[in-house]
Amino acid sequence: MRYIFKFPDIGEGLDEGIIVEWKVKKGQEVKVGDSLVTMETDKVVTDIPAPRNGVIAEMFGKVGETIHVGEALVEIEMEGIAGEAAVAEANKIEAVEEEGAGVVGTLEVAGNSAVLSASTEGTASNNSTDLPSDRKALATPVARAMAKDMGVDIHKVKGTGPGGRVMKDDIIAFAQNKGSKPTTSSRSTSLAMDEILTEVVPLTQIRKTIAKNMITSKHNAAHMTIFDEVEISKLDQVRKNYKDNFAARGSKLTYLAFVIKATALALKKFKALNSEMDMENSQMIYKKYYNIGIAVDTEKGLVVPVIRNADKLSIFDISVKIAEYSEKARTGTISLEDMRDGTFTITSYGNIGGKFAVPVINYPQAGILGIGRISKQPVVMNDQLAVGTVLPISLSVDHRIADGGETARFLNQVMSYLADPVSLLME
Amino acid sequence: MMYDLIIIGSGPAGYVSAIRAGQLGLKTAIVEKNVIGGMCLNWGCIPSKAIMESAKLFDRIGSDSARFGIDGIDKKAISFNWNKAIKRSDGIVKKLTTGVGFLLKKNGIEVIEGEAQILTANSISVNNRTLEARNIMIATGSKSPEIQNEFEGLVIEPKNLFVEREIPDNIVVTGETPVAVELAQAFNLIGKKVTVLVPGDRLFPFADDYLVNQIMAKLKKDRVKVIFNQPLTNTQGVWENGILKAGEDIACDMIVNAARRKAILPTSEIKFDLTADGYISVDENMQTSIPNVFAVGDVNGLSYYAHIGSAEGMHVVNFIKGIKQKLNLKKYPMNMYTVPEAAQIGLTEKEIIAAGYDYKVSEFPMSANGKALTEGNLDGAVRILSDKKYGEVLGVQIIAPNATDMISEAAAYMEMEATVYDIAQTVHAHPTVSEVFMEAGFEAVDRAIHK
Repeated sequence: MRYIFKFPDIGEGLDEGIIVEWKVKKGQEVKVGDSLVTMETDKVVTDIPAPRNGVIAEMFGKVGETIHVGEALVEIEMEGIAGEAAVAEANKIEAVEEEGAGVVGTLEVAGNSAVLSASTEGTASNNSTDLPSDRKALATPVARAMAKDMGVDIHKVKGTGPGGRVMKDDIIAFAQNKGSKPTTSSRSTSLAMDEILTEVVPLTQIRKTIAKNMITSKHNAAHMTIFDEVEISKLDQVRKNYKDNFAARGSKLTYLAFVIKATALALKKFKALNSEMDMENSQMIYKKYYNIGIAVDTEKGLVVPVIRNADKLSIFDISVKIAEYSEKARTGTISLEDMRDGTFTITSYGNIGGKFAVPVINYPQAGILGIGRISKQPVVMNDQLAVGTVLPISLSVDHRIADGGETARFLNQVMSYLADPVSLLME
Repeated sequence: MMYDLIIIGSGPAGYVSAIRAGQLGLKTAIVEKNVIGGMCLNWGCIPSKAIMESAKLFDRIGSDSARFGIDGIDKKAISFNWNKAIKRSDGIVKKLTTGVGFLLKKNGIEVIEGEAQILTANSISVNNRTLEARNIMIATGSKSPEIQNEFEGLVIEPKNLFVEREIPDNIVVTGETPVAVELAQAFNLIGKKVTVLVPGDRLFPFADDYLVNQIMAKLKKDRVKVIFNQPLTNTQGVWENGILKAGEDIACDMIVNAARRKAILPTSEIKFDLTADGYISVDENMQTSIPNVFAVGDVNGLSYYAHIGSAEGMHVVNFIKGIKQKLNLKKYPMNMYTVPEAAQIGLTEKEIIAAGYDYKVSEFPMSANGKALTEGNLDGAVRILSDKKYGEVLGVQIIAPNATDMISEAAAYMEMEATVYDIAQTVHAHPTVSEVFMEAGFEAVDRAIHK
């Protein structure tokens, strides 16, 4: 019995991914949880784990090809299970828990008809008529099989069949046009010259998504930014005092952990900043959970993993979580699950450089807090000139949601927590 | 007065186009020099099928009655009454042609009786009237190739066959066409001694070898003699006193001329490019070498099937109206009213090999089908030829008593570019002969259940 494993719906409304690297070969034995393939989706680069024990019988798609959710990725010859048992098993298990097996938390296996009797005609598989029913293109079965095989996005093909149905010939024509069109076709300058002076690189999924999200945010939110500085020598002292203690417990105590905690607690007092505006239904959605996204710089681009219920976590727990995400960012294994459900975002660029910024809101959230470079500065304390440790803060809010006063009061609250870290314990 | 479209010929290519043109609001006239409905309705498809049904029934009563549990039938006591069978056929023809006439009228088509002469690309003359049209469609059909003959009543064209007449005992049918075999088998069923003279070295030039071989085997079993490489163009010196010399001496009282048909070219002041075989040459939209003059049906030599002529004609009407479509003759079924019937669609196995496909043949025999067994029909099979890469259905062949009806299912598969997976997933009711499709589909995907 063979099991056709389809690219699972890994959430966040993603409907396609690009094959980055195959981790298995045809004929290779795999165990549940073994990485099959590295896929780049709109938001992450992630490994897809094997849902079954068995031997890889067929792999669908080459590196660089786009695979839609619900389309076949691999065909696994299952061991030990034959005939009806395999069908029964496949039907039974619709959602496969993959704890600890890979980075993707829960894989919902698309479709429940994923088992096909062993067949030498595997390549066309049975999913040609089995695409996700939402936004299904009108196309013939052969056109679908061919589009998948040739890496053509069938939704982009104009059908010439009855009622605009995409036919076999349309896929062939589309693939041919695509293949022959130079990437800089619209330019009048000579191609040779272009190639010397510029480098044309196709956008990655992540870059496309960042671009889309940034534009969405700038188009929809009314950005307003407020800048301030907070003197944090007390906080600095606390951090120094507990640094070794944290290190002994296997974590690193950073300023960021305090900022996250302070922000989460402040959000509890200013609900507008932890909300989103639902214009369509003319209503506000105030969230009673405080999930703080932290913008993390990676080679591929910015990702924003989320620290859930930060208001309830201790500074230590938060530090552990930050360390975990840094490591994941380094190895490129941040999953979609890690990035889900943020309610507010903190971007900390100070360790790289820059004091103030105008951060772009992670739409539809209401605000984003920017943390600049901490520096020693002359400050006035008790009417005395002193050397202070100063943390610059930039807060962008969606002015549709938060008014100036509320925004300033929220910022004051955050700064007050940071200036007097003991107050964090008093809430 | 300026017509949008003038159609010459009211056979299935012409009259269907006229109705479609009327539906789309084109001002249309159709010119017919003989009878509405053309060869198909009046002297071809319909009468031959009516006679074939009579012949099959006659044969069945004689040979199957006892086996099916009907006592009292004396095979020697029953006889075939050709003239009565013809009367039944005439009734059907009358009903159908009246229907066509009504439909033409209903759709506002002007029917002009007379012979058309094409004057220019935009005008014709009929009954000394000159008619102007933006488009002209030639649908004049085809005729049997000529056999020179001085002996009265010896050579019969299919067009003249289905009338009240004496049917002699020894019949020769000439031709490589499905019609030739069909007529030979019909005569054989009613107890005549039949020989088929094939001009070349094979039957059915457009059919898959599989079908040809199956039908050849059936003819042999039924003792219908087939002699190859015997083109017949003249009876002089070849036929004498009931004997035809065709490599050997054949008893022959009547020759039915069913060889591959020739174009009936309209009289015309303008010249069209012709194919090497004398048909009007057309492009992919059935346009002749003269813009706005189209040729559809047998006259263009692309096919001799009524339904393909109709499809070509409707394509032209759509083309004139600016409705863009593709015409793919390979997606149209070829039906052969042999016994059992044979039908095919798509590519033949040879064409598939020539095109370089990696393909699979999935076959399911009628002898393993319950319904076919109850009907007493053991002969035949369905074959699905699919490409291994996508499972695309490339071609289908059927031999079965109702193959010409069953092929429509395959036609739908072809039209919708279905794969063998779709066939396998299409549940077919039981018991039906059509289950063979599902079984062959299973076979294509993995393996058949009942095989």
